[in-house]
Amino acid sequence: MKEIAIKAVGLDVSFMVQRQGINNIKDFILTMGVKSPFEKKQVLRDLDLTIYKGECLGILGKNGSGKSTFLRTIAGVMEPDKGTLEVNGKIAPLMALGVGLEPELSGYENIKLVAVLMGMGKKEIKESINKIIEFSELSEEAIAMQVKRYSSGMMSRLAFSIAVATDPEILIIDEALAVGDLGFRKKCAQRINEIKESGSTILYVSHHLAEIKNICTRAIFLEGGKVKQEGSVEEICDLYESTLVKKKK
Amino acid sequence: MGVKEEEESGQFFNLVYTLAVKTLKLKYKNSLLGFMWSMINPLMYLLIFTFVFSNVFVGIDRYPLYALTGIVFWSFFSTSTIQVIESIINSSGVMKSMNVTKIAFPIGAQLSALFSLLLTMVPFLILMFIFGLQIGWESLLFFPILILFACFTFGLSLFLSALNVYFRDVQLAWTSLLPAIFYSAPIAFASNLIPAKYAWLIKLNPLYYFINLLRDVLYHNRLPDLQNTLIAIVISAISLVVGVFIFRRLEKGFVSQF
Repeated sequence: MKEIAIKAVGLDVSFMVQRQGINNIKDFILTMGVKSPFEKKQVLRDLDLTIYKGECLGILGKNGSGKSTFLRTIAGVMEPDKGTLEVNGKIAPLMALGVGLEPELSGYENIKLVAVLMGMGKKEIKESINKIIEFSELSEEAIAMQVKRYSSGMMSRLAFSIAVATDPEILIIDEALAVGDLGFRKKCAQRINEIKESGSTILYVSHHLAEIKNICTRAIFLEGGKVKQEGSVEEICDLYESTLVKKKK
Repeated sequence: MGVKEEEESGQFFNLVYTLAVKTLKLKYKNSLLGFMWSMINPLMYLLIFTFVFSNVFVGIDRYPLYALTGIVFWSFFSTSTIQVIESIINSSGVMKSMNVTKIAFPIGAQLSALFSLLLTMVPFLILMFIFGLQIGWESLLFFPILILFACFTFGLSLFLSALNVYFRDVQLAWTSLLPAIFYSAPIAFASNLIPAKYAWLIKLNPLYYFINLLRDVLYHNRLPDLQNTLIAIVISAISLVVGVFIFRRLEKGFVSQF
């Protein structure tokens, strides 16, 4: 019997967005009481999905199909309106390139900063800081340099190294690796495999089918905030390809 | 369970501390004079006021000291509010992708402003001595009064920072409102110079009570007036409670707005 890492049942998630044209106080006051300044924009609709421990799930879908919103809900950043979401395990999110990195501070200072933001304790950081630097393969000089002088590849190295430093139970990767060079991407794939083998769960969003095929064990296709199909990696990649090509015609 | 809670609160303090240090570092990272800048602004005000008003307000004894005991804390108030308002907007990326305790960001910003003030207090105290400051045992009350003032400032800033996520006008409105607050508080002038007819107006400004308290212990060398102290405590408490309450209510929707 496989253990459940994440289980979503009937999940509804929405954004509150300002009504068109109301984004300043003047309009707000003028329309006060007449209409609410916010309206709901639903992104995920009645989404059901079970993800098991040790799985590496590829998530495919068009832009705006709700991939990032789904990951954010799992990460606890957004709250569902309806439905239940069960998450078992500590999450390391890699949502966008260089989140939390402070351009003016050095790489070293940033490791500490982002590690704290990710919820690592002082002791953990102390123990893993050398491991992080080593994994990132950034030179001593680069680590002492301000992050604003980093290339995007170097930033993603740093961010990825911090995220995988303490074997996370659930690792979320949202197109964060796309900018690394070939060597580092191979290394990441290797580390992801290690993490997978240690029994952790990985959620991987990417538009690179080759990467998905390489890393993932199962995949889902999201459309309109719902899981349109789940199945083997090959099957879903084919579906993704055919859907996008059809759209182009 | 106790251990877990302890771990979590330790984590929270570490987060707040890290953010406060970060804000301090960033503030002075790329400037040559660094931390001196937090002194230059109040000094400019002092110079202007002494130059412009010394002859006008001849009734005020030791005018430079009088003005300085107002300006320094005004400067703390305005920097704090702006820094706290910005702390939320500036960390939108983090809040969008990590599950962090959001209130840690404004707390960190407020603490860094408080720490900045304590640092600049050293040279300012020397300056105050030159202008005729006398230290008595009542001067020790400076610290609790400062904490009270910081609580008031923090509550207000928290409220503004949360509202600013929804309506960016708040930040702009606040920057234009600041001078009005400044000139309606007895910072450069003494409140007894205001015609009795308008005296009530100046008392509408919450800063009035805090500036009075600070001046009581740093300028007049006397125990703070009881009624004034009570009003200041009530204002601070209301500000803090309302600020935290509003922030807690509004923070759930932050991610939708970034």
